[in-house]
Amino acid sequence: MTALLVAGLHKAFGPTRIIQGIELSVAKGERHAVIGPNGAGKSTLFHLISGRLRADAGQVLLDGHDITGLPPHDIFNRGMARSFQVTSLFPKLSVFENLRAAAMRDGGCGLAFWRRLDGYAPLRQRAEDLLAMLGLDRRRDVLAGNLAYADQRALEIGVTVAGGAHTILLDEPTAGMSRAETERAVVLIRRVTEGRTLVMIEHDLGVVFDLADRISVLAEGRVIASGLPDQVRGDPAVRTAYLGAAAETLDA
Amino acid sequence: MLAPAQAIVARPRAGSALRSAAPWVLVAALALLMPHVVPGGFGLSLLCRMGIAIVFALSFNMLLGQGGMLDFGHAVFLGLGGFLAMHLMRLADAGWWLPLPLLPLAGAVGGLLAAIAAGWIATRRAGTAFAMITLGVAELVVVIVLLLPGAFGGEEGLSGDRSSGPPVLGFDFGTQMQAYHLIAAWAWGCALLMWLYTRTPLGRLANAVRDNAERVGFLGYNPARIRWLVFALSGLFAGVAGGLAALNDEIVTSGNMGADASGSVLLMTFIGGIGTFWGPVVGAILITFLSVALSTVTDAWQLYSGLLFVAMVVWAPGGLSGIILAHAPLVRAGRLGRVVPGYLLCLPGLVLAVAGTVGLAELAFRLQAVRNGASPRPVFGLAVDPGSLLPWLVALALLLAGALLLRRTAPPARAAWQEASVASTAA
Repeated sequence: MTALLVAGLHKAFGPTRIIQGIELSVAKGERHAVIGPNGAGKSTLFHLISGRLRADAGQVLLDGHDITGLPPHDIFNRGMARSFQVTSLFPKLSVFENLRAAAMRDGGCGLAFWRRLDGYAPLRQRAEDLLAMLGLDRRRDVLAGNLAYADQRALEIGVTVAGGAHTILLDEPTAGMSRAETERAVVLIRRVTEGRTLVMIEHDLGVVFDLADRISVLAEGRVIASGLPDQVRGDPAVRTAYLGAAAETLDA
Repeated sequence: MLAPAQAIVARPRAGSALRSAAPWVLVAALALLMPHVVPGGFGLSLLCRMGIAIVFALSFNMLLGQGGMLDFGHAVFLGLGGFLAMHLMRLADAGWWLPLPLLPLAGAVGGLLAAIAAGWIATRRAGTAFAMITLGVAELVVVIVLLLPGAFGGEEGLSGDRSSGPPVLGFDFGTQMQAYHLIAAWAWGCALLMWLYTRTPLGRLANAVRDNAERVGFLGYNPARIRWLVFALSGLFAGVAGGLAALNDEIVTSGNMGADASGSVLLMTFIGGIGTFWGPVVGAILITFLSVALSTVTDAWQLYSGLLFVAMVVWAPGGLSGIILAHAPLVRAGRLGRVVPGYLLCLPGLVLAVAGTVGLAELAFRLQAVRNGASPRPVFGLAVDPGSLLPWLVALALLLAGALLLRRTAPPARAAWQEASVASTAA
């Protein structure tokens, strides 16, 4: 069963063709990593899938339904959530309120202005559970804008998964983290995406080979290889096009 | 490592309902007490104005402070609500049975409908574009109102008689005190509703849209839809203020909804502080008081609220409530005494600078007035010739001396505050 299917996706900014016919298929429950050199179009691909940008051509299917060209909130409501490479939180809301706001849509609040927010007990519980899972319970009432960087990155993941989406896109979740922080993030990602489909962009190949069931390699706006980690590792096209000097690290 | 689930900090819940109800009881008691503290009919009409301004400023902050929307035409909703209320009042004058104490409800409907219409365009965008659209819409509405004298009374506006309706629960507007009680009750109820709104899902989502509208979109909500809804509710409360103003003044004109009125609510709200719920209340009370009190001593009073606004934007962007909040931890930790000496040292510089500024403002204002052929009244009992050089030099010297003094005394005071607040939060 395919969770996410991308077919013939194209996107150009002016004369610059960033995405040139991407094909991608992610099975339900799979953890799929998208890797590739800088400028390969990874983030643009995420923007196209999540509705931040409109594709020039091609299709995106989520659970078999066409979501091409839908606005972000419609795509979210069909079960796909995403995180951002540059942390995107609500800086003047507390950590707890960030998580609760992120869970509201799924919590059945709608846009109610006649009911107390505190009255939604399951919503509150979900935010508290996530706080514990993220290891942020001691930062509960700290404004998100005042958090340390690694805590903000953890909250970014928490906000992304809080709404109960079945398909999660993570854009470089470990970017800028120390080794120890990265290890914690991997444990966290594994835990919060349990039973969900995960697509993630990641530069840290250690994280990629640790987490991913399958890997797709992007170069110059195309998928040049897609398969099991071992297949991708051995693929000569990948080695020449992308890995280059890093190939030795993989053999080690 | 991940913390175990039982590590969730237990939140104290008991007594929180009582704690949050206490200020509201206190405010109600204060509102009942005020007419006996502030003497005379003049004081009473000032209190009425304050009540109306509080509702208006709170509705404005639903947009600015809580929703991140700078509305340059907010008075339009007050004005249109006021006109609708006034039409009903005139129907009552004509013999219809209409309970006039409920007239602010008509204002609410007028404000709500107008905000739904204006918001349909304005809230599609945020930030600067939103502000520009509200400015344009406001100008447009004022022009239309003046072009339709049949509906809005042209330059003179519409007037009515609030005592013409049937008495409701003993309210017949026989006295200004009755009008005050009615306004106070409406203001208290509206403030309570607007506070409760901040604790609803929509209220919280408005904060989220203010902080990061794009992310809200990726969490399943259309941020433009949230802005529209908040805009409509804010218009509703501005309309109530308009209905109250119609009852209080017995006249509504296009001047009630013009750029002056929209600018004045921005001033009030910002000076009071947009970062807290009660900041706009403080601002509304202060600016209403200043506009009345200062206008009795100087013709240049608008200049002073403008200067106060600029000073706030530059030196205290959190407004008065921000200043108060910055000292709350110190009070709780009993450390307020540590900052007082530094503040006292700042006082002479501040007094000099204010005196110099007032001098310059009055001189400039009087020079203008004399040029226009008017003979301005003596200010603060002083008759000064703005044509001669000496008073200008004196005022300038005062301002410079004050500024220089503040440059010396302000940094240590600030450092003392910083030190005390670090110590207070660590304690």
